[in-house]
Order: sequence, then structure tokens, then C-alpha cells
Amino acid sequence: MPWIWLAAMALGLWLCVRATYVADLSAFLPSAPSAEQRVLLAQLKNGATARVLMIGIRGGTAQARTDASRRLGAALRTSGAFEAVHNGEDSDQEAMGRLLFERRYLLSPGVDAQRFSVEGLRDAMAETVGLLGTPAGARIQPLLWRDPTGETVRMAEAMLPAAAPRVEDGVWVSRSQPRALLVATTGADGGDLDAQQEAQQRIRAAFAALGASGLQLELTGPGVFAVESRATIKAEVERLALAGTVAMVLLLLVAFGSLRPLGIAALPVASGVVAGIVAVSLVAGQVHGLTLGFGTTLIGEAVDYGIYYLVQARALGHRGWLREQWPTVRLGLWTSVAGFAALVASGWGGLAQLGIFAVSGLLAAALTTRYLLPAIAPAGASGSGMRERLARFTQWLTQVLPRARLPLLALTLAAAVALAWLPSPWRGSLSSLSPVPQQALDLEASLRADLGASDAGVLVAAEAADEAAVLAAAERIGQRLDALVQAGKLASYRSPAQILPSPATQLARRAALPEAPVLQEHLAAATRDGPLPAAKLAPFVADVQAQRGMPVLTRAGLQGTPLAGALDAQLLAGTDGTPWTALMLLQGPAEGALPLAELRQLVADLPGTRIVQVQPELDQIYAGYLHQARWQAALGALAVLALLAWHLRSVRRLAAVLLPLAASVLLVLAGLALSGAALGVLHLIGLLLVAAIGSNYALFFDYLRLRGDADPDTLASLMLANVTTVVSFALLATAKVPALAAVGWTVAPGALLSLLLAAAFTRAPERSGRNRVTQWPEA
Amino acid sequence: MRAPALPDVLAALRVALLALCLAAAGSVRAAGFDLQALMQQLAQVRSGQAQFVEDRRVQQLDQTLRSSGRLSFTAPDTFVRETLKPTQERMAVVGNQLTMSRGNRSRTALLDSVPEAVVIVEAIRGTLTGNRETLERYFDTTVQGSAEQWQLDLVPREARLREQVTHLRLSGRQGQVREVHMTLPGGDTSVMRIEPVADAAPAKP
Repeated sequence: MPWIWLAAMALGLWLCVRATYVADLSAFLPSAPSAEQRVLLAQLKNGATARVLMIGIRGGTAQARTDASRRLGAALRTSGAFEAVHNGEDSDQEAMGRLLFERRYLLSPGVDAQRFSVEGLRDAMAETVGLLGTPAGARIQPLLWRDPTGETVRMAEAMLPAAAPRVEDGVWVSRSQPRALLVATTGADGGDLDAQQEAQQRIRAAFAALGASGLQLELTGPGVFAVESRATIKAEVERLALAGTVAMVLLLLVAFGSLRPLGIAALPVASGVVAGIVAVSLVAGQVHGLTLGFGTTLIGEAVDYGIYYLVQARALGHRGWLREQWPTVRLGLWTSVAGFAALVASGWGGLAQLGIFAVSGLLAAALTTRYLLPAIAPAGASGSGMRERLARFTQWLTQVLPRARLPLLALTLAAAVALAWLPSPWRGSLSSLSPVPQQALDLEASLRADLGASDAGVLVAAEAADEAAVLAAAERIGQRLDALVQAGKLASYRSPAQILPSPATQLARRAALPEAPVLQEHLAAATRDGPLPAAKLAPFVADVQAQRGMPVLTRAGLQGTPLAGALDAQLLAGTDGTPWTALMLLQGPAEGALPLAELRQLVADLPGTRIVQVQPELDQIYAGYLHQARWQAALGALAVLALLAWHLRSVRRLAAVLLPLAASVLLVLAGLALSGAALGVLHLIGLLLVAAIGSNYALFFDYLRLRGDADPDTLASLMLANVTTVVSFALLATAKVPALAAVGWTVAPGALLSLLLAAAFTRAPERSGRNRVTQWPEA
Repeated sequence: MRAPALPDVLAALRVALLALCLAAAGSVRAAGFDLQALMQQLAQVRSGQAQFVEDRRVQQLDQTLRSSGRLSFTAPDTFVRETLKPTQERMAVVGNQLTMSRGNRSRTALLDSVPEAVVIVEAIRGTLTGNRETLERYFDTTVQGSAEQWQLDLVPREARLREQVTHLRLSGRQGQVREVHMTLPGGDTSVMRIEPVADAAPAKP
């Protein structure tokens, strides 16, 4: 037996070493989202928004911050690691300006068939002249004779955001606090955390190299969150594993007083952890850091099996234990497995991993206890340690607690009433799963507000087969949105077609460019008595002619310019089979809300077009998780119930086992609700665990009641097992990762309560003769 | 400076008289006419409407460019400039929100993110509403003249903003701005003469 186990462990360890470990938040994204969610998730995972790093420089004088902004901007631009670096300076726009200027008659929204008529030319030139002699005119003056119709201005207008940061002394600054602002877009994908980390280090190093004393760097963005979350999860899992192991060793040493039983009790734990990792790795292809963190509690759970065996086999021998106690342990195992099996099928990757880990880990730990431990420790543990005192203490508890039965029942009822009366505590959100601390979220929100990068509120998303079609679709939607902007129901919108018009539109504009003689004739008429003499406008005529043969600009043509990043934020390129998506961010009117119903109506007849509300959509995703998890928890609970009913075959015994379980769950829920915690999916998982673990205790008490006497060893093993469980989950409650802490805060008190309540609610052993209950079902 | 002419002396006398009355009421110190006094005087006028005629001289062009239209403002922060000739064009500012409309096109931006607009708007709006804080934030100020006939010189503090506008001179009578003279870095100039409209309706953004 030991050899089989050793071989299995060796294989398992080898697989563990080869497994892929991840700690991004992808495991918490659903695998089967709706069309709206697909758009959103594509954006979250790969979109240009995931590549944006927001930088703040604070401290010192305004002058020092401005200098630092310029120097940092220059350093980052020359580093080549970033696709674009913006800080309000114009310098980086010159190359881009040239590219656009050379194709202005294809790209300017002002160009149509009427633009080059006498009337059209006159109007356009009047508009340009209106800007001369004003500060805005200073930029167009050098281009006046080449671009008298002001196409440059029209292109700039279309691309300028409605909400840009405040400009002071030529660089972006905050409106609310002394801080200079920069935005850097990484070349690397948002999901490539190693590259993101490198980019962030580069920014920090470049800032440090400025040697700007008294100035502090602030760095935030999706990539920063992802990298920091990964580091936090990693550090927390390592800390928890270490602390859990140390706590277990200490507890077992106190309980057994010698090293050998400690080593033996660790075997089921090791088997469980290895089996859990291997199973998750084989099924899911990768192991998430949170699964490992959660897995550390398995130390506390799996060690119970070893404790039960080592303590209880002392009196009974291994054969006696297998006959007398193993059925109870096995039933407890089945109930735990039944509880978690429901999670395995979860569409939510993170939840499924927890399920797989728990089921396979518990099975492996129980199998190790059942087959390996009798072989290497036939007579249980030898040492005594504190166990006798533990047994006496537990015995005392079993005598005292039943007296408090009525108050405890009353408390449970009060908890039920409180839960019914309090507003529902199930208001956890997707963000509550994230290990990003509030302080970091606040910094992100304040930089985002300063930069005018409103967090995506409402989007119009359009899908089409290719680049040309999706840009054309964006243009069609844009025309309809223009009507809303005119009516004042919409402040503005961003569209990829504002940066890059569709090829069809560009070709139509090119077709509208007249031949030189026609243009000259119209120009002569349009400039009569006007301030711009036709004689000076020869460069204009030449430029129009030059652009009549210009090929259309495509996304590929923008690569390497700052516009590429801006375009990619709004245009998600399709790959083989998946459609291209245009994202158009809407900005509502200054007062009042977006007319959502009208918007939906507006795009209803456009194929592949939908309105996506980001926050409701994210809430929807989470509500989906919660809903699914509730079903799974209910199914798990039902499976536990069925198993117990089938084994106990007595309504009274079933009720006696269920009462402490139900009471514990109620009390924990009420406690969490009263503490003001927002409960989410992970709390639900925790409650499932409480039921799974608590059923073990209740079954043991049921068994002891049947036997008629509470033997000290069984009581001691129960108490010890409980303490190890409570300690491991209490450690989990200290985790800085909310998902893990939620489980800890639920299970630690829940496990303790289920033991105490099981002791309290178990009626004293019935006198022989009146004991009409059937024998313990044999294996 | 030319020697004071008779009307100036009379005006000064009138101001002295006014100052005496106000000093008696205890609301104003009896010092010379300065920015504080000018701002107080301008702030008394809560809203106003006027017609303007603007003449711009641009280096590259032989003609003087003339445009005309309406101005209106309402304290504390609404300012609208509507050009009617030669083409219709409208610029409205409410707080930090800038809306520019021309024909059927309209576009909004945040004022302080557009250096081209911020100098002109803050100079004219700040003066019309008597907002000393704003003026001193953006400009070095010099006040000359008297309450009856004053002149306010504004030079942008920031070097970058001086690249937009070199110098502004606003002049007026009592609580009314009557002329805005602007000099641009390239040497272009603009002179806007303002004629208040009596039945002033408050400005709408």
C-alpha cells in the first residue's frame, strides 16, 4: 500500500511542478457570455483600454511638475516601449498631422460633392477667415493658401475629445489638485502581465532617473491592477500556506506530544493538496492562485481525517476503526463531496476550479486515511499530549451546552427574524472579488476624472465582417447619433470613423474632387470681393489635384502613429471567423440622463448593432454568477440532504443532524448581515462548506448518541479536528484577497458554531430499552 | 500720457464725489482707482447684452476683416458671443463648458483644455463679471484711469498662453466694457467695439 501511495504522490508532484499557475482575474470571467458581454470582455481583456497606464506627478512646485512631465514624456517616448505617450504637448502630433494633412480631402468630414461648388467654397473660406486674427487662427495661418477651406480644422474638430484635461503651461494638469498628468499606452497586450510589469518598471525607473526631488510618481490603470493583484495573490497564498502549516504542526504537537503522529496526520493533507492541484490542472489546463489560497484550508480539513483515525484507532485498533468509525467519516466525506460536486459544472472558471480542487482533494485525503494510515499506524497514535484534557473539556461541553439549548434556539430564531427583517445582504459586486485595495481604486478614479477619461458608461457596439464594413456601420450609426447631439439629448460620442472614415466614404470624397480647371473657375467666382485672393490659392488647387490619386487610408496605414492607439481603443479587430467590432462611447448631456430607450430604437434596424451599458452589464455578469452559484449551492445542499436521509433512514435523526447545521448557517448569515458585509458568491461557497464540514460533526454526535456513551477519544478527535478547521479558516479570513477572506469569515465561525450547536442540540443518550433506532448501517 | 483734458478732470471730480459718498456709507476705502475698485464696479452689473463690431488686421491679408454680432453675459460664469456677419457663428461658455456652433455643427469642449479659447474667454468674461480672482490667476493686470473711464491691461502670466495672445487691453466706462483690443504674437490685432443694448435680457447659454 505505501508503495502505491508513494508512486502516486511522485507522479502527482511531477504533474504539480509542470502545471501552469496563473493569478490574473480571467478565472472570474464567465465562459459563456451574451453578445453584449462578449463585446465587453473582449474590450476588458485585449482592448486598448487594458493597455493604458495613467501617470500623475505630484509634490513640488507647478514649474517642477511641468518640467518633470516634459522630461518623463520625452524619456518614455524615446524608450520605444510605448505605443503612445501623451502629456498635453503638441510635439507628438506633428508626424500624425502630416499624414492626415496629405489626405485631408479624403478624411475631412467637411468634404462632400457640394464642398467644391462656388457656394461651398465661399462658405468654407468664410469659416476659415473667421478664425484668422484669433488665437485659433495662428495654427492655420501657415497653411492658409494650401487649405483655405479649413479641412485641417474640421479633422481636428472631429477628433478632439469633448472632455480633455486642463492645460497649464502646455502640459496636462489636474483640475482639482496639484498634479501633472500623463497617459502612456503600452505596446504589449493588457493580458501579458509580464510585459505590463516591465512597462510599469520602466516608467518608475524613468521617473527615478529624472532625479526630481520632492516629486512623487503615481501610476495606475488596468495593467497596474492586474500586476499588483497577481503579486498580492501570490504573496498571500504563500503566507497562508506557511501559516497554515505552522499552525497545524503546533496544534498536532500539542495534541499528540510526539512527532510521529504529526507526520502521519500530514499524509492525507499532502495527498489532498497534490491531488487537488493535479485534478484542477488536468481539467482546467491551469491552476489559479485563488484556488491554491482556498486550497490551503484543505490542510485544516484533510488533517481531520488523519486526526479521527489516529485518535480513534487507539481504542479500537484499525479494524475496529474501519468497522465502527469509518462509515461515519465516509458519510461525512460523501456529504462534503456532494456539496462541492455542484460547483464542478460551474460555467464560471474560478468556481469550477474550487469545486474540482475540493472534491479531488477530499477524496484523496480520505482514501489515504482509509488505506494508507491503517498500514503504517495500525494502532493509531501513541503519544498522549494534551489530548486527555481536550477530551475532558469536550465532555464538559457536551454536558453544559445542552442546557443552553433553549437560549440557543431562541438566538437562532432571532437570527432568522433578523435576516428576514434586514435588507438583503446579498449585494456583493464583481469588484468585491478583486483584490485591488480601495486606495488604489480611488487613485485610479481621481486620475481618470482628471484625464476626462470617463469610465465607459454606455457604448454602441457594432459588429461586421471586416474593417471596411464595420467602419461603414460606425458611420451610419454616427449619422443617427448626430441627430441626438443636435437635439441636445447627447453631448457627444466617439466613433472609430471619426479617426478613420470607411473606404467607401473616402472614395466618395475622392470622387468629389474636381479637376483643376473646374476648381479654378469655381474658386475665381467664390473669391470675388472676398479677403482671400484667388491668385494666391494655387497651392490649394495643386493639393486637391494631388489627392485625386491618393489611395484610401486604412487601419494598417495608421500603424506607428498615435492615432493607431486611439483607433484600436474603438475598433476591435476581428480574427478568422470572429467579427470586427466598433465601439462608440456615448457622453450624456450635462444635465439629465442618456435617452436609452430612444437609443435602442435608433439602432434597432441596424444588424449587429447593440447598446451596451457597461456597469449594468458587469452587474449582470455577477448576478449571473450569484444566481448560478445559488442553484449549485441549493443542489449541493439537496444532495447532502438526500445522502443524510438515505443513510440515517429516520426523520428524527435527520432532523437532529440538520438542526445544528441549519442553525449555524442562519447564525453566520445573520452575523455577517449585522456586520454590514456585502455578501457575494464566495460567501455562498463558504456556507456550503459550513454545511459540508458541520455535517461531519453532527453525524458524529448522532453516532455517539446512538452508542449511548461519548467515548473520550472520539470527543477529543472531534474537538481537535474542529480547532484545526477553525484555525485554518481564521487564517484565511486574514487574507488581503477579498475572495479568500470572504470564505474565511464565513467558514471559521460557521465550523465552530456547528460543533458547539451539534453538541448542544444532541439529546442525551436515550436509555436502553427505549432505544428503538436501528443499528448503525454497515458499510 | 497726454495732459489731462477738461472732461477727464470733470470725470475725476465726479468720481471723487462718488467715492466720498460711498466712503460715508463705509463700503469703500478712499484710495485711488485700482483693480479691486474696478472689479467691484463691474461686479455690480449682473448681466448684460451688447452689440459688437470687430476689426481684425491679419498679416497675410490686405483687407481688414470686419465681423459683428451680439455679446451677452450673466454672472457668475455665462458668456455668449454670437457672430451674425459675415457668417453666423456662436460660442457659449458656461462655467468650464465651451460650446461652439456653426451652421448645423456643434461641438463641446472643456474650456481649460483649449488654450486657444481660454485666454480670450477668461479675459472678457472675467472682466464683465468683475471676477478678480480669475483675472489675477491668468494675467498680470494694470489698471489706469478712473471709475468713469478706465483701462485694464492684461498680459497672460504663462509663457504658453502668451504664445496665444500677447496682450489684451479692455477699456470702458463705469460698469461697462466698451472696447477689447487684442494683440497676437505674430503681430495680428483685433479691436472689438462694444455698444451696450439698453433692454438687457439675461444671456442664455
